[in-house]
Amino acid sequence: MRHKIDVQQGTLALMILKTLDVLGPLHGYGIARRIEQISGDLLAVNQGSLYPVLLRLEQEGAIASEWGPSDSNRRARFYRLTRAGHKLLLAETRDWEQTTSIIGRFFQVKAKDFS
Amino acid sequence: MRTPRRFFARLLNSVTRRRDNERLREEIEEHLALQTADNLRAGLSPSEARRQAVLRFGAMETIKEEYWSERGLVFIETLLQDLRFGWRSLHRSPGFTAAAVATLALGIGANTAIFSMVDTLLIRPLPVQHPLDLTFLVFPRDASHFDPEFSGPEFRQLQDQTRGVFSNVNAMILGGLSGPTGRADGLTVDAITQPAQTLFVSGEFFQMLGIRPSLGRFILPSEGNIPGGDPVVVLSYRYWKTRFRGDPGILGRAAYVNGRPVTIVGIAPKGFLGPTPLVDMEAYLPLSMMTVETAGNADFLTAIGTRQLLILARLAPGVNMERANVALASLGQQFAKQYPRPGEGTLQARPLRPPGLMNGPNPLPALAGLFLTLAGMVFALACLNVANLCLVRATDRQREMAVRAALGGSRIRLIRHLLGETILLTQFSAAAGIVAASFALQAVSSAVTATDLPIVFEFPFNFRVFLYTLGVAVLAAAVVGVFPALRISWGNLNNILHEGGRNLTGRGQRTRSVLVAVQVASSFALLIVAGLFVRSLQSAQHSDLGFDPMHVLNVALDPGEIGYSQIQATDFYRQLLSRTRVLPRVQSAGLALTVPLGDNTPSSEIMIPGRVPQRGEELRANFNAVSPDYFTTMSIAVLRGRDFLESDTESSSRVAVINEAMAQRFWHGLNPLGRSFKRNGDAQHTLEIIGVVRNSRAEDVYSPISPGFYVPLSQAYTSAQTLHVRTAGPPQAITSMVLAMVRELAPTTPVLSVRTMTDAVRNGPGGLLLFNLGAKLTAALGFLGLMLAVVGIYGVMTYAIGQRTQEIGVRMALGAQRRTILWMVSRQGLVIVGTGLAIGLVIAIGVGRLVAEFLVGIGPADPLTYTIVFILLCFIASAACFVPARRAVQVEPTVALRYE
Repeated sequence: MRHKIDVQQGTLALMILKTLDVLGPLHGYGIARRIEQISGDLLAVNQGSLYPVLLRLEQEGAIASEWGPSDSNRRARFYRLTRAGHKLLLAETRDWEQTTSIIGRFFQVKAKDFS
Repeated sequence: MRTPRRFFARLLNSVTRRRDNERLREEIEEHLALQTADNLRAGLSPSEARRQAVLRFGAMETIKEEYWSERGLVFIETLLQDLRFGWRSLHRSPGFTAAAVATLALGIGANTAIFSMVDTLLIRPLPVQHPLDLTFLVFPRDASHFDPEFSGPEFRQLQDQTRGVFSNVNAMILGGLSGPTGRADGLTVDAITQPAQTLFVSGEFFQMLGIRPSLGRFILPSEGNIPGGDPVVVLSYRYWKTRFRGDPGILGRAAYVNGRPVTIVGIAPKGFLGPTPLVDMEAYLPLSMMTVETAGNADFLTAIGTRQLLILARLAPGVNMERANVALASLGQQFAKQYPRPGEGTLQARPLRPPGLMNGPNPLPALAGLFLTLAGMVFALACLNVANLCLVRATDRQREMAVRAALGGSRIRLIRHLLGETILLTQFSAAAGIVAASFALQAVSSAVTATDLPIVFEFPFNFRVFLYTLGVAVLAAAVVGVFPALRISWGNLNNILHEGGRNLTGRGQRTRSVLVAVQVASSFALLIVAGLFVRSLQSAQHSDLGFDPMHVLNVALDPGEIGYSQIQATDFYRQLLSRTRVLPRVQSAGLALTVPLGDNTPSSEIMIPGRVPQRGEELRANFNAVSPDYFTTMSIAVLRGRDFLESDTESSSRVAVINEAMAQRFWHGLNPLGRSFKRNGDAQHTLEIIGVVRNSRAEDVYSPISPGFYVPLSQAYTSAQTLHVRTAGPPQAITSMVLAMVRELAPTTPVLSVRTMTDAVRNGPGGLLLFNLGAKLTAALGFLGLMLAVVGIYGVMTYAIGQRTQEIGVRMALGAQRRTILWMVSRQGLVIVGTGLAIGLVIAIGVGRLVAEFLVGIGPADPLTYTIVFILLCFIASAACFVPARRAVQVEPTVALRYE
């Protein structure tokens, strides 16, 4: 079995936003599945822990939700990105890229670079 | 942006108790269904598909918890939960709730009421713009006295030379009070004349206060400079509402002040009483209209020696009191040279805050402190009682609490449950207390009616009072809640669960005993203070007034208010007097300028030939102007010489009758008859002493009697006079006849007041009013305290003995005498009561010192008061111990043994 990594604080929200941005409105299960697929089942995340994060994003106004018919013809809650959520995603993406590039540079550093 | 939005969403959810449990449940259900379907498609068996779906979802409860805590604010939710829990548990024991709320409401109500009074008398600023920047100017005399009056020229110079420190300087004259009569002016509208307390103000007065009229306009800056030149009047809101029922058509109406025509131009704003906190200024006129009182004389505006103006000023922006006083000090030196006045002292500005213009020592802060202390003690008693009740409840519920704790309830959470209950209790009590306080205050307001001044003794509920009550309630919650809470945190879970709820008397009992001892002590101190005040009232009631108030009717009149001239008024009074004397059952009748123990006792500086005042000595005596037969009517004995006669007229030589105190003070027991003196400001007339009368009380019922003299009304005219009639039997019987006569002689003249002399003494400001109020207030507080203490002792004893029922049963079964057991169980209570009394004695002696200055005729260690209170409290407290004890020993041993 491959080693799974824990989800860092806040990254789950970013994954949700990006997923909704790329795929449009989705229900909770859909989001969970996409995240699992994209991460290649490497993430050790309970599907259920998605819901508190969805609620937080909704209360912050980044996403909105409404009932709609699911594939199985039952009611499911569909989430979509709002305009504010879109802006948030752009900002967060920028931040994230910055962070990873900084961290990346640290990993490339070798002792001789400082002499 | 995001954080606040999230916060508000959560807050809203918390308050509306929105949980959306349904939504989450449905979402989870759908999620699992979809996952199961996928798993089935992947080839799992139905039950395994479902199991895997649930596994992948994760720990259901944890996720729900996270979801909910994200949904709302945990803190508020648990608080609401605590309150709901508290509500339920209070609801389950209505008896306890009612007792606790009633007790606390009394304690909180007493404090709210007392604080409302203190607020009105000492704290509440004037309802004007930036009231704290308002000042009045004085020349201080000593620590508590000052000279606040200025002449017209002084006022104008002050206006010119203080522009740097004051943005506004205004003068005012209190109508009536500056004159010798101390009576209001008469305001005639539609031929009906009623008295109105006037205030004559310079033009920028209202501009300085920064208020807006509720109707019409105020007095303009251009008005008030020409004597008698601007006949306009502004009415107070209260006066307008009560007399004209708020009729807006009153504006522009012709009216008369003391018979001189004026126009009503505006109504002052609601709630504005004028620059003093208690007396309603009912009519404002321009300063120069003061001529309506002086019969045209304008000395108050122009003469250097006539000082009648009070000066108010507003500090300029950025100037504080110290800077203003530095500037005034140098100006004051210049003033002293330019306008010499007796006495020393530099010009000063004082804040126009309660007690405002009160001259003389101010007893209010000390009184306020005293009453707040007493109310505080009642409050403490109430809190201790309820704390006791809660303690008993907590003990009874100890097992319940232990079980909760054993099931995982954290200690904090348990205490918070109890606190939720306490908070609810105190909030209900605060609400009930406010209602109780407003009733009590209404009673106090209506007690102050018998004065000639329009005194507004009202206590509107305001923000400060609300905060105070809230603070008191929070304090109550802390005191009441802390004991049971501590008990829980001390309690040892294991012991409690194993002891089966017994053997809980240890610490709780000790705490309760201390509480009861404290209650007895504070109740003792309260009763001592109440007793001292009641005794003080008694001694004031029995003090020798020097005149006999029984069977005397007073009718206050002032035909000057409808513009009568001196000749008309003199004629009116002469006829009234002669006709009154022949009414049936009238023994004698006389007229006087002022009624003893009333609002105002005029006094005058005198000069005695051959006597040079020593440094700092002021030759001053009270005076009254009276008609012949006045002394007979008042039953004031003429000791030497003669009474005034009809032959003492305006043209005959000037005469005076003096009292014993004056004879003693200025002539040292020599025969004063035939000697003479002069009144300051009336140098051309020498008053010859023709009689000496017994000392009688004029200002108040307790101070040493001051020197005083009487002059005949015929030689000292005033339009405001009071008719005194002595009757055989109740004086009310002739009221209607006298009033009919007044209407016949002068149909439109207002009757200012009709009152028996007994009533005037009992309720007059110089009479027993304050003693009555003091005695009633302290007695009410003392009674409350006693009741609370008795309930406390009784409750604790009943509970303590109830705990020992089994023990008593065993003892009796083994042959113990009833009496022995009775003594055994009540002894404990008596020890507590005794300790309480001893502590109370110490507190009472301390508090007695505090009240010493308000007592008359008795000392703060009055032995009778102490004896009575001691016996009373011993008796009642012992009874509260014995009653439950007796009940306990009368139980049959078999019943007691089975008691659980």
